[in-house]
Amino acid sequence: MFELQAPLIARREVASGMWVLSFSAPEVAATARAGQFVNLLLRPGPLLRRPFSVYRATSGVVEVLLKPVGAGTAGLAALALGESVSLLGPLGSGFQLDQAAGSVALVSGGLGVAPMPLAARAAAALGLQVHWVHGARTAAELCSEWEGRRVHWATDDGSIGYHGSVLAAIPEGIGQVVACGPNRMLAALAARFPRAQVAIETYMGCGTGVCLGCAVPRTSGVYDRACKEGPVYQANDIRWDVLPQHLHYGLGA
Amino acid sequence: MSGLRVGGVELRSPVLAASGTFGYGTEVPLCDRPRLGGMVSKGIFLQPRPGTPPPRIVETPSGMLNAIGLQGPGVEALIRDYCPLWAEWDFPVLVNINGESVDEYAELAARLDGVPGVSGLEINISCPNVREGGMFFGKDPAQAAAVTAAVRRSTRLPVWVKLTPAVSDLAEVARACESAGADALCAINTLVGMSFDLGTGRPRLAFGTGGLSGPAIRPIAVHLAHQAAQSVAIPVIGIGGIGGAEDALEFLYAGCQAVQIGTATFIDPNAIGKTMEALEALDWRRLVEGTRAAISSG
Ligand SMILES: Cc1cc2nc3c(=O)[nH]c(=O)nc-3n(C[C@H](O)[C@H](O)[C@H](O)COP(=O)(O)O)c2cc1C
Ligand code: FES
Repeated sequence: MFELQAPLIARREVASGMWVLSFSAPEVAATARAGQFVNLLLRPGPLLRRPFSVYRATSGVVEVLLKPVGAGTAGLAALALGESVSLLGPLGSGFQLDQAAGSVALVSGGLGVAPMPLAARAAAALGLQVHWVHGARTAAELCSEWEGRRVHWATDDGSIGYHGSVLAAIPEGIGQVVACGPNRMLAALAARFPRAQVAIETYMGCGTGVCLGCAVPRTSGVYDRACKEGPVYQANDIRWDVLPQHLHYGLGA
Repeated sequence: MSGLRVGGVELRSPVLAASGTFGYGTEVPLCDRPRLGGMVSKGIFLQPRPGTPPPRIVETPSGMLNAIGLQGPGVEALIRDYCPLWAEWDFPVLVNINGESVDEYAELAARLDGVPGVSGLEINISCPNVREGGMFFGKDPAQAAAVTAAVRRSTRLPVWVKLTPAVSDLAEVARACESAGADALCAINTLVGMSFDLGTGRPRLAFGTGGLSGPAIRPIAVHLAHQAAQSVAIPVIGIGGIGGAEDALEFLYAGCQAVQIGTATFIDPNAIGKTMEALEALDWRRLVEGTRAAISSG
């Protein structure tokens, strides 16, 4: 784990109102694995850090994906190039990709696409056949960046790709499912793919395992920490009825 | 840094980690441990407790609300898994003890007496996030004294008592705890707060209410720590919204012998190290003694 003053070196809009921010953070870029996150602190800004999945990590640069929805995310999106944030990471557990599965579907809804580029590269490096399955409300809100050749889109309004839930766009016969998105979407996915690897969203206090604020209800009856044991879980390990359903992925406030 | 004895505990520096914000001390990476004065472990009960359902945390202006519900493994697991590690560490660890009855506090104190690795007890009679016990004992001078006396009788360890701000007269509770045998007082625990989700119209925290911490509570904490220090002869440890050396100095000027840092560790895992480093650079002892001397002669 590192804490770095990380300057913003680039910013691009990848969907309507959805931005990728690129920070120079060499130690973190060199060690981050797919599904892990970084905790960003904006000063001046809100009191607590904001957690973001690592979107890409290459040649000394860590990228995160965000939508300005609250003071923290709006402040981050408005950073000028060259301005720095404190970047803490990499944090949490990553995806466990199964080489024997042969193929993997990377299923995401909206901002849930955030951990997928890194997951796609890790999967390709293992020789897995990668299916990129991504949904949003409208075509304008779909992430315009993807990895690999097998791309399946879904939109709620049918403006592009499959008309309806991204879950329906998952091809048959896939060896492993990896997913990220709103908790409600993941709960529905869990019913169909109980062994899917899901990256879930909770409020976080510290991101380092000390506050117990990021409780995830496990089927075993205990709460554990999204920031430490998570944020990646096997779908049937989570008590979806206790996990707050109204939280969006990337709530970020 | 040595020779700082506060409430029966040999501290390495005047800046400690507050209960519930440093876990069991085993996993706070990036913290500059040599500057850590000591730590208070996460609140423990006799029995394991699952804690409250999520959401447990919400950010508020200059602060945060938490309702963790004292999740923990129970005292036997604490003694088995953590105390042996603490016994090897070169800073003192106090255990934050909790109960639903006076007897439970006493039993916990007796169980921890003589356990290597435990340098003292901090009685939590101020947790707002449990349905039984907790803040109930801290609100009433007679109950606070009863818990303190029972713990005092059950252990040879130094006994600190952590006070709640939810009282009409803190001085009265402070004096009651002192008379009942406390070695030091810690002021303050969190203030009860609430926040509603505008989308659902329901409380943002699953527990409903939560404990407010962070810079938002600092002036209240300084005031109450000052009030406690004015009303007792035993040391007072100041807690509430400390994020750096200047904040810590306010509590030292208010009459505290040491401070604890909580929420700031969530933001900067090395908040304690940086605070202590800056206090050293300011020559805090000279500053505090000089100010006290000036006040008493002026
Ligand atoms: C997430 C969280 C958990 C806490 N858990 C405990 C606890 O177990 N026992 C206790 O006495 N105080 C607990 N506290 C209170 C802190 O120790 C401290 O008194 C309070 O947060 C005020 O200090 P701060 O503003 O520096 O955080 C907790 C505070 C937070 C934010
Ligand atoms: S966010 Fe603090 S323990 Fe996970």
